[in-house]
Amino acid sequence: MFFFRKKMAPPPSLTLEGSLGPNDRLDEADAIPVTAPETICVAGDALLISSGRDLYRLEAWGAPLERVQSFEADITALTASPEGQIAVVLTGGQLQVFGGETPWSAPQLNGVADLVFLSESELAVVEHGYAEDQPVLSYAPWDTARRGQVLAVHRNGSTRRLSEALHCPMGIVAAGEALCVSQLDQACIVEVEGALRQQGFPAYLGRLCETRTGYAIACLSRRNPLIEFLKTEKSFVRMMKETIDPRNWIAPRATPEFAHDFPMALGATRLFGEIKPWAPSFSYGLIIETDKNFVPVGSAHCRANGHRHAITDVVEWNGDLIAVSRASGEILNLGAI
Amino acid sequence: MAGPAPFPMRPTDGNNVNNSIKFNSLTRYKVPRLVLSPRRIFSDILSKGWVESAIPLLGFLAVVITIALTTDSYFSGSNMRILALYGADTGLVILALLIVVAVGGLDLSVGSSLAMSAFVALYGFHILELPVLLVLVMSVASGAAVGVVNGVLAGFMGCGALLTTLGTMITVRGLFTLASQAKLVEISLSARSDDLWDWVGFAQFMTLPVVFWVLACVALLTFFMFRQSRFGWHILAVGGNRKAARNGGIGVKKTIFSAYVLAGAIVGLAGFIYAARQNSIAADTGIGLEFFALTALVVGLGGFVPGRGAVVSVLLGFATIYFMNNVLVNSGFRGDFVQLVMGSVIIVILAIDVRFRKNRHRLLAATYLDPVALKLPPVQNMTGLMPSDLAPKLAEATVLGSGEIDGPEDVILDAGGNLYCGTRDGRIMRLAAPDFTEITVLAKIGGRPLGLAFDAAGDLIVCVAGMGLVRVGLNGDVELLSDQTERSLVQVQDDTSIRMGDDLDIAPDGTIYFTDATKRYDMENWGLDLLEGRPNGRLLSYDPKTKKTRTVCDNLIFPNGVCLTHDGKHLLVASTWTCSILIFDLADLAAGPRVFMSGLAGYPDNINRASDGGYWIALAGMRNPVVDLAMKLPALRLRMSKQVPPTDWLFGNLNIGGVLKVNGTGDIKDALWDRASGPLYMITSMREHKGALYLGGVNNNKIGRLDLPGADPDWTGPNRYRKES
Repeated sequence: MFFFRKKMAPPPSLTLEGSLGPNDRLDEADAIPVTAPETICVAGDALLISSGRDLYRLEAWGAPLERVQSFEADITALTASPEGQIAVVLTGGQLQVFGGETPWSAPQLNGVADLVFLSESELAVVEHGYAEDQPVLSYAPWDTARRGQVLAVHRNGSTRRLSEALHCPMGIVAAGEALCVSQLDQACIVEVEGALRQQGFPAYLGRLCETRTGYAIACLSRRNPLIEFLKTEKSFVRMMKETIDPRNWIAPRATPEFAHDFPMALGATRLFGEIKPWAPSFSYGLIIETDKNFVPVGSAHCRANGHRHAITDVVEWNGDLIAVSRASGEILNLGAI
Repeated sequence: MAGPAPFPMRPTDGNNVNNSIKFNSLTRYKVPRLVLSPRRIFSDILSKGWVESAIPLLGFLAVVITIALTTDSYFSGSNMRILALYGADTGLVILALLIVVAVGGLDLSVGSSLAMSAFVALYGFHILELPVLLVLVMSVASGAAVGVVNGVLAGFMGCGALLTTLGTMITVRGLFTLASQAKLVEISLSARSDDLWDWVGFAQFMTLPVVFWVLACVALLTFFMFRQSRFGWHILAVGGNRKAARNGGIGVKKTIFSAYVLAGAIVGLAGFIYAARQNSIAADTGIGLEFFALTALVVGLGGFVPGRGAVVSVLLGFATIYFMNNVLVNSGFRGDFVQLVMGSVIIVILAIDVRFRKNRHRLLAATYLDPVALKLPPVQNMTGLMPSDLAPKLAEATVLGSGEIDGPEDVILDAGGNLYCGTRDGRIMRLAAPDFTEITVLAKIGGRPLGLAFDAAGDLIVCVAGMGLVRVGLNGDVELLSDQTERSLVQVQDDTSIRMGDDLDIAPDGTIYFTDATKRYDMENWGLDLLEGRPNGRLLSYDPKTKKTRTVCDNLIFPNGVCLTHDGKHLLVASTWTCSILIFDLADLAAGPRVFMSGLAGYPDNINRASDGGYWIALAGMRNPVVDLAMKLPALRLRMSKQVPPTDWLFGNLNIGGVLKVNGTGDIKDALWDRASGPLYMITSMREHKGALYLGGVNNNKIGRLDLPGADPDWTGPNRYRKES
């Protein structure tokens, strides 16, 4: 058995160097504080922002937020169509489409992370496959099962499966003719037909968007050598899952705060009360900008000592790059792309 | 080695008003008598200096075993005596070469010089008919004279050893040929015989030839010269790094010169022995000797290694070559075949030796860390006291000396209320009462000052990582009290040095009890000790009356804080990685420790007495389920240490720390925490003084001061101490 042990998947090959080298762009970005922001989209000229159960609308950067609608549960996914329809998915999996001539809704969905309009009457919905009480960032790195799928949901109620057996898909974007999906833990971009477009990103990928020059990928955290190593320790992972509360698992995190019952890396020890920006951390703020082929050409960082971590969504709005930081509860404007 | 015994739950007895400690009813803590681990023994052996000679020794053994298996009675007494008789002069020449190579030179003239000295000896004995002792002096002087020429040219004039000795080799050979042709007939016709001359050449002493004993004596002297003498050390220093030796004040040229002269004299002695044994010379005497000697040297040393006076290795190399050559020739093989075999064997030995010595430090680094499973009991008696359950009381603390002190691991106050702490750069700082804004350096002691305590005379006793135990007077005088203890009986490594003196307390009789937290790692690498999880530390005592340091209890797991109990009869010792507090009975230290507290929520550091009869326990970091799990999996920690960069190693949470307040019997009464990102984290010490608690942190640059409403406003540590005394 020893000699025939299956080789473990190698960790992502890119490092935070070159065009992904550290900078302070996220720390220096203009920000609008929003309670529990999760996802944003551009509808016409305005920016739609989810804030817990509420949907807000921003006409211009600096203008006041206007509440569009309140829902009975938290918004987990949001998109808008060219003709002004707005689709939201709520915790629990309920899809609601409104803003068009006739609102419509869809059958129960599971763990929806993102969605996009295929036409005015059809949506592509990304299901990551985890239950509401299973925080994706904690579970996905330790899970080998491929639970995710992409469904096409028509307003007439029919659904068809566009893709299945995806490993924690998080975002979807129309890339020319193809639909591309980002996978959180596999750190890759795949087409729904199955072709691999790009891999090896040094981060846990979130939602993504098309920009004038290519794409921008929101990253929930950066890869951590310790977690990559522990993935190869099968018995450790099994014992951790069996004996430890998921809250205390070692995993990428959405917030940089210390907690007494959360492990840390030796190099993250505070000196004189401060965390060094280059310290290893389980949370991080990162947006990767790529060209049309998903090859990284730029990045925006918030390093270990910052607060604008866990970037959940990113869009281009009026020529500016707009992002959501879950950790700091802010909508960030990184300026012109 | 077995892990420590599992800790039982302490019976919780919240209303215990009786603060007396019932030592005998506490659970015994099983201290391993011996830490045996193949990995550790292997790495300890690898770190020894004599391992450098391992491959020459193995090569020698392989040759000896092969000969013993293939040749009948080769190692019989008579054959050994013949080998000893004929090998002695070559052995001396090899020692001479070793001295020259050790100083960074080379000597090709040894063959010619040996022949010349032999001629001088025969000329003096047979033609001048001088007494044998005078002949010996002449012979040695002849060799030394060649050494002087070599020394002047190569040492003082810097002509280069290879060119110089090539020149002297040819010149002396020419002289020898001239002289021997002129006098050879006369010498061979001489009929003089002398008892002493024959004794040197042929007699045996204790069953072995006299010449062999000469070789043995010279080898022993050379060995001690390199080990013990100033001159030998100078040779090694010059050979090791000429520039550094010069900067260190060594006369480099003089040393090189002296080494050549000494080597020449030894070659002269070899020539005398040769003459006494052969009683004749030939035109080819000593031809090829230099290359035979160089081969033996290279096999022994693993190359031309300057700065290494490995006498034993070189003699092993010589014996290897000598036996092999002798047995092949005796077996009747053709000369070219003998050379082919010898050359191949030498190349194999050298190749293995070079690879081994090149990779030894890597092998050592890869095997040094030796983790073991460490099972911790779950967190006990902390219900409602965890950071998530309580308001952060340390948030109300005021911050002293912010930014002006680097790493106050321990803090202490004198009777006048002045505050003292050690810093990372080896100073003891004084923060003057009453507002602690005037900060001055009390003493510079180097090392890394950790634990502090005042003795009865009012001097500060300091545990210094990297040094030991140091006394600092309040006038700034520094005196080293102790830097080593007894050596453990069964240990490959010498563990006498105190590597990481951590904390101390002073008993009423003046005895200082202190901890050496780990014998395996330095202050910068103490984190590796957690990854290892082995009992690497020890509790020591120092008696100021006898000035003797003694090991009270060896093989403790990171013994850290030390605190005498209020009754002065027991000693509390924090065992950091096991999250427990051990207790010793001062009246019967040999009985070993018992468990005072276990299942702490964090890693305990220093312990100190509280005014109400209880104790304060500093928690340097917090344990968490993932680290506890990793501590059960030593193979995982070992793989992590190899595959993950050190900054990313899984570790206990050192970014949060706190203080536990326990009563006199070890029941947790309160917990003080700061906010999660507050300024007081990784708390390594606390000291109660006149109704306030002073808090230090080894990675912090400030000291916290927390008012303790309800605490005795007059209680101070030193007062308390005087009462005990």
